Amino acid sequence: MAHTSKQRYLFLAFCLLPTFLLFLVFTVYPMLGGLYYSFFEWSGTSSVKTFIGLDNYVKLWNDSVIKKAIFNDFFFVFVKVIGIMTLSLFFAVALTQLRIKEAPFYRIVFFFPNIMSVVVIGILWQFIYDPSIGLVNSFLTKVGLTEWVRPWLGDMTWVLPSIAIPAIWAGIGLFMLLLMGGISNVPKSLYEAADIDGASEWQQFWRITVPLIWPQIKTSILYIIITSLNGSFVLVQVMTGGGPGSASEVMGSYLYQRAFEDFQFGYGAAIGVLILVVALVTVLISQFILKKEKVEY
Amino acid sequence: MKAFSQIIVRIPLLLWAMIVILPLVWMFMGAFKTNAEIFSSPWALPQSFNFSNFERAWNDFNIGRAFLNSFFVTVLGSVLTLLLSIPTAYALERIRSKMGEVLINVYLASMMIPAVLGWIPLFFLLMKLNLLDNLWALSLVYAISHVPFTIFILIGFIGNIPKELEEAAMVDGMSPYGILFKIVTPLIKSGIMTVTILNAISYWNEFFMALILLQTESKTTLGVAMNLLKTKAQYESAWGVLFAGLCIAVVPVIIFYTIFQRSIVKGMTEGAIK
Repeated sequence: MAHTSKQRYLFLAFCLLPTFLLFLVFTVYPMLGGLYYSFFEWSGTSSVKTFIGLDNYVKLWNDSVIKKAIFNDFFFVFVKVIGIMTLSLFFAVALTQLRIKEAPFYRIVFFFPNIMSVVVIGILWQFIYDPSIGLVNSFLTKVGLTEWVRPWLGDMTWVLPSIAIPAIWAGIGLFMLLLMGGISNVPKSLYEAADIDGASEWQQFWRITVPLIWPQIKTSILYIIITSLNGSFVLVQVMTGGGPGSASEVMGSYLYQRAFEDFQFGYGAAIGVLILVVALVTVLISQFILKKEKVEY
Repeated sequence: MKAFSQIIVRIPLLLWAMIVILPLVWMFMGAFKTNAEIFSSPWALPQSFNFSNFERAWNDFNIGRAFLNSFFVTVLGSVLTLLLSIPTAYALERIRSKMGEVLINVYLASMMIPAVLGWIPLFFLLMKLNLLDNLWALSLVYAISHVPFTIFILIGFIGNIPKELEEAAMVDGMSPYGILFKIVTPLIKSGIMTVTILNAISYWNEFFMALILLQTESKTTLGVAMNLLKTKAQYESAWGVLFAGLCIAVVPVIIFYTIFQRSIVKGMTEGAIK
C-alpha cells in the first residue's frame, strides 16, 4: 500500500468529521432539543424556563384544536395518496406505453408545479379561489352555476378540499416521473406474451404493470405520507393561516402559530414531538399494509 | 385497438395540461393588467403589455432585493452542500466498515424526521451564536439540511466508478485527496449536476426556515418577500403587482428547469430509483 494507515485515518477524518460535526450541531442537536424543550414552559423572550414535566402533553391531550389538526392532516394524507397515485399512475402508463408523440411535452408540463415554491403555489391558488377576482367563481358564473359560487377558502366545509386540490396539482409530476422510471424497466416481452395470450390492456395493467412496479408504488405512497405530514402546513399557512376558525388547521401550522406567533415555545416543541410520533406510527402502519412479496422477472 | 385508446387517453392528458397551464397563464396575464381589467375580465388578454407592475414589484415592494438574496443563498447553499457531501459520500461508499454503515443509517434516518421538530432549538441556537438574520448562516443551514439527500444520491454514482482507476492513481503516488478531487469528483459530474439542480431549486423555493431565521425586510428571500407582498397587495388591492411578483419568482426556475430537465430526469431514473 502506498499510504500509511496514519495518512489514511487523517484522510477519513478529513472526509467525514467536518460534515458530521456540522450535522450534529445543526440537525441532531435541534431535534433532540425539540424533545427537551417540550418539557418546559417558556416564552422565549425571558430567561425563565420552567420545567413542567408532561404538562404540555396533558394540555395537548385536552386541546380540541390539535384534534382537529390531526384529523385534517390525515384528510390531506388520504386525499393526496388517492389523488396523486391514481392520476400519476394513469399518466405514467399513458405516456410510456401508448406511444403518444407529444409525450415529452406532457412530461415537461406536468412537472412545472413541482419546481414552483409552495408559497407561490399557495398565493396563486388563494387568488384562483378569491371570491371577487378568482378564476373559479368567474368560471362558475360564466357557465351559469351561480348557486355554486362561494368564498371557497372562507367556507368551513369547502376549505379542506380547496387546499387539497393545489396540493395534488403540485405533486403529480414528481411521482409520475418516478413511476415512469419503473414502467420503462418492465421487459417488453411480458406484454408481447400477454398480447399473444389475448389478455386485455386492463388485465395487463393489473397483472403485469402494477405488480412489477410495486416497489416504486410503495415508495411513492410512503413518500407522500411523510412529506404530507411534515410539510402540508406550508400551503395551509400561506392560503388560510389555518382558518376559518380552525377549520383547516394542521399540526405544523398550529406549531408555528403557538411557538412563533404566541411565543409558547415549550408547547410548540411538544407539537413537534407529536408530529414526529404521528408520522412514524403512520409510516410503520402503512409499510405493514403495503407489504407484498416482491415479484421477480 | 391501440389507436382507439390513444384518442381516449389524450382527453385526460389534455385536460390535466390545461389545469396545469391555465393558472400559470392567468398569472402571467394578470401581471400585465390594471386592477380594473383584473376585476372586469379575468379571462381576457391584457389590453397592453406594459411592465409597470414588474417595476413596482421589483422596486417598491422589495422583490428585487429579495431576488438577489435568494440568488446568493441558492448559489452559496448549493456549493456548500457539495463541499460537505462529496468527501463524505466518497468515504462512506469506499470504506465499508461497521462505523460507516451506522453513519449512513444516521444520515438516512434524519431524512425521515420532520424538520419542524428542530425549528425552535435551531432558532435559539442561531440567536445565541448571533447568526439570526444572516444569509451566510441560512445558506449553511440549507446546505446541512440537504447533506443526507445529497450523500444518498452521490453514493450511487460513486459506486459505479471502477476501483481500478483509483488503484492505478495510488500506485502512481497520488495522494488520497488528489484521488478524491482530481479523479472521483470529475467522474461523478452527472450525479453532481442532478443533485445540485434539485438542491438549488429547493433552496430558491424555501420559505419557512427563511421566515423564521431572517428578520429585517432587506435580508428576506423571495418566498418571505412574496408573502409580505401578498399581505400588502390585499391591503392596497395591488393585484397586478402581486401577479408580477409571482412571475419574478417563478420564471427563473421555469427557464432553469426547461434547460436542465433532461439531466434531472436522467439523474432521477438512473441514480435515485435503483
